[in-house]
Amino acid sequence: MSTRVLIVEDEPEFIRRFSDAVVSDPGLSLVAAVSTGQAACALLDLQRPDVLLVDLGLPDIPGVEVIAHAARYQPDCDILVVTMFADDEHVVRSIEAGACGYLLKDASAGRIAAGIHELRAGGAPISPGIARRVLARFRAGVKTPTPSQPAPLEASPLTARESELLRMIAKGFTFDTIGSLLDISPHTVVAHVKKIYRKLAVHSRSEAVYEAGQLGLL
Amino acid sequence: MRWLGPWLCGLFWSFALPFMTDACAQPQVLDHMQALESSAAAPPDAAAGWVDTPLPHSVAAPSAGSGQGAGWYRGGFEVPATAERASWAVYLPYLYEGGQVWLNGSLVGAIPESTPETIVRWERPQLLPLPAPLLKEGMNELAIRTAGAPRRAARHVPRVQVGLWQELQPVYDQRMFWVRTMPQVTVVVCTLAAGFSLFIYWRRRSESLYGLFGLTAALWGLRTLTFVIEAMPIGSWNLWRLAYHVATGGFIMVLTMFSLRFVGLRWPRVERGLLLYWLIGPAWLVLAGPAYEPLVNRLWTGGTIPITWALLAVMSWASIRQRKASIMVLTVALVVCVAAGLHDYLVAWNAPFLVELLPAWARQRYFLLHHAANILLLAMGGMLTARFVRALSSQETLNARLEELNQTLESRVAEREKSLATNFERLAALQRQNAASQERQLIMREIHDGLGSRLFTSLLRVERGEMDHRRTAEVLRECIADMRMALDAMAPDHDFQVALGNFLFRWQTQLQEAHIQSTWAIDVPEDAMKLPPQSALQLLHIAQEALTNVLKHARARHVRVELRQRATVLELEITDDGIGAEMSPDRIGHGVSNMRARARRLDGRLDLLSTARGTRVLLQMPLASAAPLPEIAMRQAA
Repeated sequence: MSTRVLIVEDEPEFIRRFSDAVVSDPGLSLVAAVSTGQAACALLDLQRPDVLLVDLGLPDIPGVEVIAHAARYQPDCDILVVTMFADDEHVVRSIEAGACGYLLKDASAGRIAAGIHELRAGGAPISPGIARRVLARFRAGVKTPTPSQPAPLEASPLTARESELLRMIAKGFTFDTIGSLLDISPHTVVAHVKKIYRKLAVHSRSEAVYEAGQLGLL
Repeated sequence: MRWLGPWLCGLFWSFALPFMTDACAQPQVLDHMQALESSAAAPPDAAAGWVDTPLPHSVAAPSAGSGQGAGWYRGGFEVPATAERASWAVYLPYLYEGGQVWLNGSLVGAIPESTPETIVRWERPQLLPLPAPLLKEGMNELAIRTAGAPRRAARHVPRVQVGLWQELQPVYDQRMFWVRTMPQVTVVVCTLAAGFSLFIYWRRRSESLYGLFGLTAALWGLRTLTFVIEAMPIGSWNLWRLAYHVATGGFIMVLTMFSLRFVGLRWPRVERGLLLYWLIGPAWLVLAGPAYEPLVNRLWTGGTIPITWALLAVMSWASIRQRKASIMVLTVALVVCVAAGLHDYLVAWNAPFLVELLPAWARQRYFLLHHAANILLLAMGGMLTARFVRALSSQETLNARLEELNQTLESRVAEREKSLATNFERLAALQRQNAASQERQLIMREIHDGLGSRLFTSLLRVERGEMDHRRTAEVLRECIADMRMALDAMAPDHDFQVALGNFLFRWQTQLQEAHIQSTWAIDVPEDAMKLPPQSALQLLHIAQEALTNVLKHARARHVRVELRQRATVLELEITDDGIGAEMSPDRIGHGVSNMRARARRLDGRLDLLSTARGTRVLLQMPLASAAPLPEIAMRQAA
């Protein structure tokens, strides 16, 4: 019953590192480690892993597409994006595409394994940078009414509590601090973050539909 | 102005020619009559003591104030047998005091005389029909009574003409026109011109010439009015005469002032003198009494003649000096006026000199000043109108030029604006470049001081063999941390709060994983939010260094990070409960000196207190020096 992990990474050093981390952890099992997006998509359908570890800088197709593929066809799969910086623009885009979190490239083996476990346990890695970008995304998402679409898409996709949460994360507070400040348990905080991620993905999908509708494609 | 000359000549000749000789030859002219001083109501009989007198005859007053009584004149004329008797008339060029005409003992006409209630002065000629029944064939006797002139200096009787009505009518008409109609017209025109001119003066006080001209015209109108109004109630008579003198004197004085100012001479004292002289006459008359009027008239009015000569002299001089057509015309008009005035003076007082020179003319008692003054007023008015028109046309040219200038100005301003805009563009571009280069410098320095130095020292150590793989990994991690921080601090839309947030997040995670309990008391004040990237970076580096020490060497269980503001000082305090610096020689070294160097760059000071119980790192930096650079602020704003 170990977690089955699929690694998608094009740099050999990092493939080795991630693979070592997964293999050395008894709770995790390595499905495969591929270095191209196409292979990843094919394996996704075939092997149905539990966790997908994706690097965005793939040689053939953008990592985001792999994520989108996984999100559509393997909704049970948790997707982690590998990134150098915790507030990368790409991370937020990946989350919009359906990722559930990120993993720092220079994380130790223990950290990597722990991260995967946390994710499976319902966690949602987030950083101040990501929080800020998410907030910005939702602000930008509120469109003004147009003749063909009189009502805006979503008046305010985030609840007040969720916005507050994101703001506090952006300031650098830990989940514990936030929990004590908002009088909720850290787990609730984490659950909120997960919800926010899902909203972001939905929001971006709806946005795409909306845009398509605007352009008369649908 | 060229038409003025011929017009004047034409006027003169048309005026003078018919009167150089006597009137038409046909009517009979009585140049001698018998005179008798008598106030009789009817022609005295032959034995009364008639004196043969040549006409025209003037009887001077015996003494001032007494005037003289009436007088009778007797003469005869022939009515040829074949002559038509139906329309005979007698023509008197003037009979100032009024009187009666008797033909063959019967009264045929009366001209109102002064009564105790009314005073008359008839300027007009008289043409009285002689009724046919009273005419006899052959010699007829004509008797004329001229009334007394109680207030006059002299009594004048003209040469009488007798003849057919048709023959005398043109003569009468002509004289009537010049002596009566023209003054009437003059009064009207003067009033209008005065009104117009004074209105202009009232609206534009700076145009004194218009005011003076208006006044001159008004005074002349008033004076002429005294000739036009031939009967005056006795109550107002003195006032009327006073008005006459005021007008006459005033006319000359104001005219003089006008002329002086016209040529550009402003002599306040002279003007005051003129005004004073103007006042003397009427004042004298008022004080001395009406009886002295003849004297006042003679002396005071006569005294204006030298003044006018002086004026002429000044005007001639000005004409020569300034050579302006307007001044010359005015001077000529003045000359004509003065000559006319002189002429009138001579005529009025029957100066023998004139009588000898031009007896026929003198007999007519035509006063020229009326007409000369009209010419003068016309000249003055014409001058001012010409000026007015010139002012208007110069205004037009001025306006046109102004338009032109305005357009030139506008185009130049547009040009300038364009060049200014280009300059601003260039300046903005330069500033952007400058900002960009400043950023680059910042990055360069950061790489040089932070990453660079770390990498270089590590390289040396590795080559020396002093670095094991664990230590190398450590160093590389530290480099990555430095890089993350630098990118954070220098990202365009990140302010200090954002960089700090990221910093906290990273360290919280790290400390947590190292099982070190951490307390964070972060209170970022408004002023600190405006820290420029450099200062933020230095501060975070110091914190980074301190926390790295805690993580690696201190073996602490608890660390507290506090950021606060005390007045204008920003304080960063990091306290841990690990072993002190003495216990860990690795801590001493360029790490601490690095921290101190960074603190210096912040204009702050670093306090390091290290005991066996723990370490405290305190950074104090002034916030006033945290004012952002304008270029960077511009960039942030953009």
